[in-house]
This record gives sequence, structure tokens and C-alpha cells, in this order.
Amino acid sequence: MPRLLKLHTYLVLAFLYLPIAVIVALSFNQSRFGVRWTGFTWQWYLRLFHHHRVAVYAENTLIVAVASTLIATVLGTLLALGLYRYSFRLKGAIRFLIYVPVVIPDIVMGVALLLFFAWVRVHTGWLRLSLTTIVLGHVTFQIAYVALVVRSRLAGLDPALEEAAQDLGAGSYATFRHVTLPLILPGVLAGALLAFTLSLDDFVITFFTAGPGSTTLPLYIFGSVKRGVTPEIHALSSILIAATTVGLVLGRALLRRR
Amino acid sequence: MNRSATSRARRLLELLLTVGPGALWLLIFMLIPALLMLEASFLQRGPYGRLVGPFTLANYLRFFGLTPEGFDPLYLGILWRSAVFAAGVTAITLLLGYPLAFAIATSRRKETLLLLVVLPFWTNFLIRIYAWIVIFQRHGVVNAALGALGLGPLPLYPSWFAVYVATVYTYLPFLVLPVYTAVERIDWTLLEAAQDLGAGRVRGFLHAVLPQTLPGVVAGVLLVFVPALGTFVISDLLGAGRVILIGNVIQQQFGVVRDWAFGSAAAYVLMALVLLGLWGYARVAGEEGLDRLV
Amino acid sequence: MKRTLISLLAVLAGLSLARGELRLFNWADYIPEEVVAEFERRYQARVIIDTFEAPEAMLAKLQAGGDAEYDVVVPPDYYVLEMARTGLIRSLDPAKLPNLKNLAPEFKDPAYDPQNRHSIPYQWGTTGIAYDAQAVTRPVDSWGVFFDPKRYAGPCFLLDEMRETIGAALKYLGYSLNDTDPGHLAEAKKVLLGAKKRCLGFAGGVEARSRLLSGDAAVVHAYSGDIVQIQGEAPQVRYRVPKEGGTIWTDAVAITRRAPHPELAYAFLNFILEPRIAAAISNYNSYATPVAAALPYLDPALKDNPAVFPPKAVRQKLEYIHDIGDAIRLYDRIWTELKSR
Repeated sequence: MPRLLKLHTYLVLAFLYLPIAVIVALSFNQSRFGVRWTGFTWQWYLRLFHHHRVAVYAENTLIVAVASTLIATVLGTLLALGLYRYSFRLKGAIRFLIYVPVVIPDIVMGVALLLFFAWVRVHTGWLRLSLTTIVLGHVTFQIAYVALVVRSRLAGLDPALEEAAQDLGAGSYATFRHVTLPLILPGVLAGALLAFTLSLDDFVITFFTAGPGSTTLPLYIFGSVKRGVTPEIHALSSILIAATTVGLVLGRALLRRR
Repeated sequence: MNRSATSRARRLLELLLTVGPGALWLLIFMLIPALLMLEASFLQRGPYGRLVGPFTLANYLRFFGLTPEGFDPLYLGILWRSAVFAAGVTAITLLLGYPLAFAIATSRRKETLLLLVVLPFWTNFLIRIYAWIVIFQRHGVVNAALGALGLGPLPLYPSWFAVYVATVYTYLPFLVLPVYTAVERIDWTLLEAAQDLGAGRVRGFLHAVLPQTLPGVVAGVLLVFVPALGTFVISDLLGAGRVILIGNVIQQQFGVVRDWAFGSAAAYVLMALVLLGLWGYARVAGEEGLDRLV
Repeated sequence: MKRTLISLLAVLAGLSLARGELRLFNWADYIPEEVVAEFERRYQARVIIDTFEAPEAMLAKLQAGGDAEYDVVVPPDYYVLEMARTGLIRSLDPAKLPNLKNLAPEFKDPAYDPQNRHSIPYQWGTTGIAYDAQAVTRPVDSWGVFFDPKRYAGPCFLLDEMRETIGAALKYLGYSLNDTDPGHLAEAKKVLLGAKKRCLGFAGGVEARSRLLSGDAAVVHAYSGDIVQIQGEAPQVRYRVPKEGGTIWTDAVAITRRAPHPELAYAFLNFILEPRIAAAISNYNSYATPVAAALPYLDPALKDNPAVFPPKAVRQKLEYIHDIGDAIRLYDRIWTELKSR
């Protein structure tokens, strides 16, 4: 890597982690209203362990993020693949349909889903608001992001590779499994990562699709704007970052040993 | 049954299996709900903020400033300001994100680096934005650092500068991820060929590398520009609510004003403009350009 | 993990959950955990708390069928009557709420909900001015610190709340918070534009107090409870209702019309009207309690604090925000213009 590029990378990473450093620092700050440093304390971590509701909210958040990312990654990847490979009459319309979740303002999509779910519920009794409806809402915007990222990987992929495999007698599935998928895998993973991140942090659409008992962390945090976010949330964020980092390091170490 | 009929049936089946589920999902959970809101945009605000008929164009006329008293550029001006803001954010994000995506894709530890880029965004949005205020406030992190050097303090909060920094920060991964996927599959032999032909580093990059990454750039630019066009929380918090963006206008209608009809109309104007832009791009760039856009 | 999975399955199967369950729709961190635990213990029930960040969003969810999902909601005063009229909340049966007797006289028949027919008051407070006594350059006693250049007392923030902020300007000019006269509103816009030039900007309630703590501002437009909460940590911060008067608000507690567990909901309403419980809630929130019988159990820092319980002369100048119907569009217009200059 050229030296300049390396420097740029370190600088941008520093930029990305500057607010995170502030959050970790605030999690050890004595002040409940932390905008200025008033002294060191562990108390927010201790309180966090007694705040059983936050644990439930975190659990809900993770369940929704994992489930929706899995569904959206499969559907979005297939969608991108199909649009890349085939020409058909409605192709243009479907292309534009994919942009709608990206373009539509969150609040409008949230209210739209709320009204739609209510309408379905009145007529069929299905779709009671719960974690499931949150997942339905998240998948809807995630599909678009996954499809766009995967598509940017497919664009310019050499069609000769797929054709060669099929000429050699490989069926569509075999071609997909052994030729196409390995080629687009980085795009699929990047799309999944983006989808997961979006789900983890979504507030507006989650709010309008959530039912009783399905509060997630973003709902709780946005709900506390009236009384102020407590440093317990900073402690929770710090733990999450630390846990992911440790997981990352351990994972790499294990891989290297193998 | 002849061979071409079976192959056509098979093609149809494959099409239904790939495009089918995703398209059906979007049809049910996006198109139908979006049509409900489109209908709302032609209704009016009734008592208690409910939607009432009859159908009217009033909300659209109001947005475009076509009032009986004459032209009123209030909302169009806000829309223009939001577009300029989103364009600025996108340009800076591209400047920061493109080289970063490049560095990651060509690194030996790309998975780790990619995760490092995304990890900060697993912390709640609001918490991150509050952290930026602590960084920029009068006795904040930046001014403390400047003070240690005998400089400052600078009036960084509230400011447009702070708004830009936090917005670029928020959308950086949306650009890095698609660009990364495009760079990751670059055919480097093209660069070698160009260099063999005597192209310098810059020309080699411009002619042999950049074009190959364009699909990722186009996707990334879209994923930054479009959401940035609708933001309002960041400008409210780091800009201390001194400006109003189109996102504020829409939010306000679904909030205290409870005029869902006008809010939906404003949202549909915004969406229509972006989709029109895409359509125009597709027309200019042709089939190949369209292919880059899904 | 297991618990969530089970409840998820139950919801999926359309089964109703355990009978002893109360579903509360509230702001986050607006009720102390000890109070919830005490209720759960005494009534052998589980309390599920979901949170909202804007009353209008809460209304939208109730309208879309949420009134059959939640038992108890916490709306602001100005939406209580509307929610009753549109059938989102039920009329209360006073016989099931013997603790109504504990309320202070002025909360037994509040203007926003005569005779507490549909709701009970939960917490109340005022909107006024908070300032750093060491940083201000002039005495702070009037909305003029924002609206009159001659009374400017230091770097300032206005609330980023349309009704509160336009309301403050109206109060400064001597009009009602709920004035809908276009001429009066035009005057309000003029003084607001001046204030925008002099002040640093607009901030939400909690944000405003953070700006005071961080030293960015000397004077902010703020909610009483937010400021009282920080006085222990920052004694130099003061709060007062300006001499022209300010806003009084009450958060109410109501039972949804189709509440799945109405008996438990009544028990909850009655429970939070108990003196010790009401005091615990106020001590946690630093807002005033409408339960007069709770006063002996309040922290002295609250009980004797004029910022929490303003003296009679001040209370007479306080005004509730009302739903002003379609006139809200006039406010919206002014607010949009104010923000786009």
C-alpha cells in the first residue's frame, strides 16, 4: 500500500473512532448529565447490570437485526442476480421499485407500514404488531441496500465465466454455487454488513412497526430524549464495542492457528 | 416438447426464483403502503389531524408555492438548500471514502478493516451525534486540544462545519461498502497493460482502474446523497436548529402540525425528483449506465 | 433469549399472554424501576413498558389499533380530551380510584380534563428560563432576555419546540399562548427573528440544559424538571418563570378504550396516586406531583423549591397549551419561515 494511502486510512479510522472514544470516556464519567468531565466512576456499569429492561431491549434489537439481515441478504442477492442475468418486460419497473425504500423518507415509510399493517389486521387478523412486524419492515428497506451493493459487484463481472461453466455441463444451481457465488461473495458480505448496521440503528420504522414488549434499544434511547440519555447507555455501548473487538481478535487468532 | 420450450420454461422458473421473492416482497410491503401515502397526499388535514376528502391538489400547489396570492418560494427554497447540502456531503464523503475503500480492498486484512469501519455504527446514532457535540462544544475535545497548543477556542458549535462533519461521518460506510466491493474485483492486469504502454501512475489509474470501480461509486453516491437529502436530526443537533431542511418540513407535518396530507405531498415531490434524476441518468448513460444501477 | 422466544411464539400464535400483565406506553425513564417492581410484587403482575419519543407518534399508533394492545398511556394534557372524543381512551370510573382523594384541589378538576373524567394527572411542570447565575451579565426575570436586545444577558438558546417557543414570544408580547390572531402571530415572528439573530440557536429540553452545563450558553428556554434535576450537580444554575408568565403542563395517565387488562390498569392508576408512590415518582423525575398527600415524602430539595412548586402569584400567570385545531398551520408557517431565514 502506498504510504499516503496508509496515512489516509489511519486518519479516517481515527475520525471514525473519535466519537467512540468520547462515548467510552463518558461511560466512566461521574456526572449523570455528562457533557463535562467530573470524575471517574464504575457506577454506570454496575447499574446497567441491574437494569434488566435494557437487557431485554438489547435482546430484541439483536433478534430483529439477525433475522432481518438473513432474510434480506438472501432476497436482495437473488434479486440483484436475477436482474443482472435476465432481461424481461417488467425489469425497468422492478429496478425503480428497488429505489423506493432508499428514496422514501423514514417517517413516511414508517407511517405507511403502520397504516398497511392496520389495514391487513382489520381484514384478516394477521400482522399484529410484534417483533415479527419489525422484521418485515426492516427487510423491506434492507433488500434495497443489499441488492444495490451486490449489483455493484456484479456489474462488469465477466459473463464468459458463467457461460464457460454452463458449456462444461454445469446446471444453473451448480454454476451459481461454484462460480457465481464465490465471485460475488464479498459483495454479499458487504451488503449483509450494511443491512445489519441499518437494522441495529433504525428508530423510525421500528417505532411504527413495534408492538407491546418489542421495544428495541433505539426505541428506548430515542424515548429518553425527554429525560436525557443516562450514561448507562454509554456503558452498554462501550461493552458492545469491547465485546466485538475481543471477538474479532479471538476469531483472527483461531483462524491463524488453523 | 421441444428443447427451446423447456429452456424457456426453465428460464422463467429461474427468473421467478431469483427476482420473484424480492420483487413480491417489495410489491407487498413497499409499493402498496407507498400507494396508501400517495392517496393521503391528495387528501386534506381534518379535525384532530385526520385525513379527510375530497381529493385535492392543494398540498402540491402549496409545496410549489402556487398560491392565489402569487408565487411563494418558501418550500422550493428549502428543497434547494437540502439538495445543495446533500451534494456537498456526498462530495466530501467520496473524497474520504474512496481512498479508504481502495486501501481496504487492497489490504491483506480486508475483513478486519471492513469490520473496523462498520463497528462504530453499531453504537446508537443519537449517542454518536451527542458525542460530536461534546467534541465541538466550547470546552469540548477539539477546543481542549487547541487550548493545549495555545490556540482557540473556536466557535465550532453550533456551526455548518459541525453539521457537515457529523453528516459525512454518519454516511461514510454507505459509500465505503459498495466502493469496496467494486475495487475488490478489479482486474489489475489492465493497469499493468496500461503501464506497459507507458501510462504514468495518474493516467494508469484514470484509464485502467477508475472505470472499473465506477459501478461501486455510483451505488455509493446514491446511498449517501439520497438519505442525506432527507436528514434533519444532525442539522438540528449540531446546527442548533438554525436551518430548516426538507426533512424537517416532512417531520414537522407528521409531528406537531399533524398534517399528514401535506407531509406526504412533500415526501412525494422529493421522491419523484430523485427518481426522475435516476431516470434521466439512465437515459443519458444508456443501457450500460442503467445496468450499473441495479 | 428463551423468554423472548417464548413470548414471540405466543404472539405469533395469537395467544394472549399471562393474565397478570400490564402494558404501559410511556416516555423512557419516566417511572422509577422501584415503583414498577413494587407494583409487580403487590399485584403479581408483569409490567411491559414501551416508549415513544413524540406524543403525535404515540397517537398514530393508538389510532392504528394500538388502543387494543396497550392498557395504560401517558399523553400530554392537550391531547386528553381529543383522545376521549375519538374513542382512544375510556371514561374512568371514580369508584375504582379511591386515591383520587389524594390529589391537590387544583388537579381534581383540571381544565384539560374536567373532573378527571378520562385521565389522572401524573407529573406537572412549567416552562421558563434557566440561567447560570455566574455567567449572566444582567438580571433574568423576563422573556426579554431572548426578545429584547436591551435585556440580552448572555449566550442563549430557545427551545426547539414550535408551540413552546412561539408561545414564549406571544407571552412576551402580552398575548395568550394559544393566540391565533394572524396580526399577533406576525408580531411574535418579528421578535423571534430578532432572538434568532442574537441567540446561538434552538435546542430540545434536555439539550438546552446540557448547553448550560457545558458553558456554551448562559441563558436557556427550558422545562422546570430538567433544570431541577441538575441543580444538585450544578448549584449555580437557576430556574424561573418570567414575569410575563409561562407554560404549565401536565402529563396525564389514561386507560385505553379497548385495554386488554382494564382491571390491572385501574389498579395501576390507583397505585400511582398513593402518597409514597407519587412521591417516589416525583423524587425520581424532579417534576412536581399533583398528589398533595405525597408532599411529606418528597425530597426537601423539591418540596421547598419554587422552581418545582411555584408560589401562587407565579401560578396565576401560567397557561396551558391547547389544541388550536387548524390554526396550527399558521404556527407551522411562522416556524418554517423563522427557521429558513
